[in-house]
Amino acid sequence: MAAPLELSCWGGGWGLPSIHSESLVVMAYAKFSGAPLKVNVIDNTWRGSRGDVPILTTEDNIVSQPAKILNFLRKQKYNADYELSAKQGADTLAYIALLEEKLLPAVLHTFWVESENYFSVTKPWFASRIPFPLSLILPGRMSKGALTRILLTRGQPPLYHLREVEAQIYRDAKECLNLLSNRLGTSQFFFGDTPSTLDAYVFGFLAPLYKVRFPKVQLQEHLKQLSNLCRFCDDILNSYFRLTLGGISPAGQETVDANLQKLTQLVNKESNLIEKMDDNLRQSPQLPPRKLPTLKLTPAEEESDSLQRLSP
Amino acid sequence: MSLVAEALVSQIAATEPWPENATLYQQLKGEQILLSDNAASLAVQLSDVDVSKTESDIPGVVFRPFCKCVICLSKWFVGQMQNICLHLGHSLSDGLDEVQKAEMKAYMELVNNMLLTAELYLQWCDEATVGEITHARYGSPYPWPLNHILAYQKQWEVKRKMKAIGWGNKTLDQVLEDVDQCCQALSQRLGTQPYFFNKQPTELDALVFGHLYTILTTQLTNDELSEKVKNYSNLLAFCRRIEQHFFEDRGKGSSSIRLS
Repeated sequence: MAAPLELSCWGGGWGLPSIHSESLVVMAYAKFSGAPLKVNVIDNTWRGSRGDVPILTTEDNIVSQPAKILNFLRKQKYNADYELSAKQGADTLAYIALLEEKLLPAVLHTFWVESENYFSVTKPWFASRIPFPLSLILPGRMSKGALTRILLTRGQPPLYHLREVEAQIYRDAKECLNLLSNRLGTSQFFFGDTPSTLDAYVFGFLAPLYKVRFPKVQLQEHLKQLSNLCRFCDDILNSYFRLTLGGISPAGQETVDANLQKLTQLVNKESNLIEKMDDNLRQSPQLPPRKLPTLKLTPAEEESDSLQRLSP
Repeated sequence: MSLVAEALVSQIAATEPWPENATLYQQLKGEQILLSDNAASLAVQLSDVDVSKTESDIPGVVFRPFCKCVICLSKWFVGQMQNICLHLGHSLSDGLDEVQKAEMKAYMELVNNMLLTAELYLQWCDEATVGEITHARYGSPYPWPLNHILAYQKQWEVKRKMKAIGWGNKTLDQVLEDVDQCCQALSQRLGTQPYFFNKQPTELDALVFGHLYTILTTQLTNDELSEKVKNYSNLLAFCRRIEQHFFEDRGKGSSSIRLS
């Protein structure tokens, strides 16, 4: 517990601390269980490995997959499932399996295989965070890995083409989202009022799908119709990730700054206008208020009359 | 099958009354069938299907490296248990509400994810089992070069799949631990009830029975897998109950099975 825990993972964007599902799962779990985690975001210097991200390093150990990292944290007494009953623990395992089988292929497809999304969003984002020669190779390799995984787990005979599998995986993913929404209902987290491992997993898989701006978005549209899942993601982001948001996503911070600037400019312009109008009013000749409207008015009187009516 | 064909077929299947001549084709029980395939076919058998033919009875085919069970209605369907249940047109789980259906699907995925993958791992990636049992069984109906070629091809395929889902580096002990975790989850969900949901069996019961029964009764080089399952007494009682209720009552002489 005293040893510093360092996590290297992919960075964030679009309001998220990380856009990589597995990294996000680990980060969320660490927040929920109170583990003091130092997050090292992978950038385009040569330090840190990019192999099996996310990776947790302590003084003596290097732990690599999310399930193993979560087990390790639990052994270090950072347990977010403390209050769950045995049956809820069993349900957690089952729902995680559901996520991995039904939702993950479609998420992988949206990020890595759908060509418009991959070439316009995913590849530039990852390539900008990988140092030069590797940035030409690694995104391509990750994309092939995702495609292989989809075909091997979903395509039945080895000769199936991707197109036939695509429709099936999106259908499964939509069904999975509906099931999750039914299960969540109106409660804040999946098991009562405190977040647990299942909440970390669901958040990790759903948040990138929800927030990242893609050109081809059919699954995102479906997700946005399930308002309780969107509310679930936003709640977790606001309660657990708001403080670190400014530090971790400089791109997000810049857009916020730009928006703020525009707003202040607009407000300034408006207040200038109001001041000018005020000056005009004060400088215009004051006439006594008319009690009876007359039909014929001279132009000068008409103008001052209308100004009189405008001023408070 | 393309999507349109599948939709059409399930429509047709749904409107026909349950046909009498539905036959399940599977590999030869004593010699050829492997752990995971046996599990799948047992699960389908719970749906009242006649099991008598073997793979080589499929007409008009020279050789066919099938590994899943095949069911014959008026058309041919090859597929996993869930697809077959879809094509059967009636569902065992109609009485459940939405949340329970979600839970059922989640548990079915858990069983597929953990138990099925563990079975595949044990059959194809554990060298002892592969050498002694799997190669011989898998290639048994085919003539000489073909049995070796097909067995190696299948092994390569399974190893690729394991690597893709992250099981490539797991040791046997880690796999057994995963199986233990899965059985613990199932045992906790079952509790003291007769079936997983209410008093009626559902697809989940069929799937769990298929896998657990096969694990318990198949002879392998090491018995650790079945030992893991035997630790959970309510799961054992569950298997026994289903076996007595569904398989012995049917009076099928050759395919009656006894749990030791």
